[in-house]
Amino acid sequence: MKASGFPYVLPMLLLSVAFFATPLAVLVGFSFIGPDGPSLHNYARFLGDAFNYRVLVNTATLGLQTIASTTLLGIPIALFYWHSGKTARQVIIFLTLIPMLTSNVVRTFAWIVILGRQGPISETFVALGLAERPFTLMSTELGLVLAMCQIDLPLIILPLIAILSRTPVQFTEAAQVSGAGPWRILVTVLLPMMLPGLLAGWILVFASTSASFVTQAVIGGARNVYVPQLIYREVGTLFDWPMASAIAVVLLLSTGILLVAMTMISRHRRLVGHA
Amino acid sequence: MQDFNITRRHFGLLAAGAAAAVALPFTARAAGETAVAATFPGNWEDAYRTVLTPLVKEAGFDLTVAPAMAQDQLAKVMASPGNPPYDTLLMSPGQMAVAIENDLIQKIDPSKLKNWNMLDPAFQGEYGPTVTVEVNGIAYNPDLVPAPKGYRDLFENPAYEGLVSWTGFASNTGVMAYSEIAKIFGTGPTDMDAVFKLFKAHPEHLKGVVASTNHQMTLFQQGEIAVFMCSTGNVAKLKALGLKAEFVQPDTGSPAAPVNIHLTKGAKNPDAAYAYMDAAISKAAQDKLKMPPTEMFPTNKEVELTPGIEAYVKREQLASLVYPDWAAINKNRAEWIRQFDALVAG
Repeated sequence: MKASGFPYVLPMLLLSVAFFATPLAVLVGFSFIGPDGPSLHNYARFLGDAFNYRVLVNTATLGLQTIASTTLLGIPIALFYWHSGKTARQVIIFLTLIPMLTSNVVRTFAWIVILGRQGPISETFVALGLAERPFTLMSTELGLVLAMCQIDLPLIILPLIAILSRTPVQFTEAAQVSGAGPWRILVTVLLPMMLPGLLAGWILVFASTSASFVTQAVIGGARNVYVPQLIYREVGTLFDWPMASAIAVVLLLSTGILLVAMTMISRHRRLVGHA
Repeated sequence: MQDFNITRRHFGLLAAGAAAAVALPFTARAAGETAVAATFPGNWEDAYRTVLTPLVKEAGFDLTVAPAMAQDQLAKVMASPGNPPYDTLLMSPGQMAVAIENDLIQKIDPSKLKNWNMLDPAFQGEYGPTVTVEVNGIAYNPDLVPAPKGYRDLFENPAYEGLVSWTGFASNTGVMAYSEIAKIFGTGPTDMDAVFKLFKAHPEHLKGVVASTNHQMTLFQQGEIAVFMCSTGNVAKLKALGLKAEFVQPDTGSPAAPVNIHLTKGAKNPDAAYAYMDAAISKAAQDKLKMPPTEMFPTNKEVELTPGIEAYVKREQLASLVYPDWAAINKNRAEWIRQFDALVAG
């Protein structure tokens, strides 16, 4: 008789309950602590402030912008990997993994140099005559998206590579023989094939970007406020933990809704039907 | 490809080894009494670790210097009342008031400090000794901008446009500067509406708002900013790094904040904590801490001021510095933080 797999997952289940479900329940419970006992006071206060709405939208927008930019950069790199020989593939994997071995904080501080007035971007634009004087991309949304894109790029490249390495390159040749042009091959063959990898990557990139406190604070500055900074402010500066818990729950729900929406879109039968 | 195989016996040994490795630091720590002392990150952390660790060791204890901003120290101690992660805290009167209000720190026993009498009575706090006085002002890069006269100059002189950086109200340095600006442009130190109005009228200043003074020092090094509100210690550190940085006392007076060490309520190693406090106010320590790159103002009467510190402030000038009303600040701070953050975000 085939043994049940339950005993094998029991340790993981217990750990999840102890270190994820319980703290999450405490967090949710805290969020309902109001000045006069349990209430929706913190949620009403948070959602009643237009500034907080904007912060929520900014956080979601930052996640989507980073998804778009990492996808645009990640797909060509993954396709290049697919069509490369063994050595080139090893080099691509090495270059993809090496930034992940560096601390996020270090990578973020490196971006201060790159985005600054005396950084390579500003100097190149001035040298090419595209800008009259040195400029800074620090404390701008564009600078933040650029930094996040580099930091999170491996999260989209690796799932794509995992899918493509299992797929014969002859797929594209078959499409060519059938008369499909390069764009048609990309849209009707390659993208649907890569969709599961893209979905996994999008979820990772979105979760990483929307929670990336250090990069948001250092590169985005104080003008670009995102939800993690609001939570930190409530916990570390204002010591209003019930409010911080309410904001964390709102962040969890809003990002959760977006991730579910992404999953549903990618599983839509019209999209899946092409695969 | 070679399969990955592991026997139950090997797995057991691996798990036991991992568990032993995890337990190792705790058993090592339990062997000797160690003071876990919270200090500000950066300059303070480096200096305290280098200078105080040997002195605490001489007294028969170990020292772990844990870097955290004063607000973060408070948050962490509040998170585990009765079981604080630190034995001592390092903070200014603003945070000290919050710590007392929340019963997080305790009165000290001065008889346990050999160097207690070396402190001026003003530095002998019942909740702990004052280890230095941070004198605040304006840091600037002389290669990029002229020396500012004071806060008003930063808003009215076009030479500073786009080159001044500010922090939010969570920073003590920031809030002390804003109190002074409120006096200049408003009706008094708590008239922050006047400050918010000033920033609205000068939106280019809002572009330079960042989270902390440490962040500003990084931007200063990169030439991204040329002016920021600072303490003399910040400028001393920048100079020690070989950067062009100068300190200016504003024409309206320099805000100042004593920095104190406090014993947490429920401190696990009080004897080690007292040894650390005693080391911090000793002549041996303060003779070193007054030198660059820290240039901390010594509170031990036996320690002579260096010419570098005297250029900022002399002992007899201490009384004439501007000491903010922290009770009034604490009362309004949360609201100011929220209002300013919303203003900065546009």
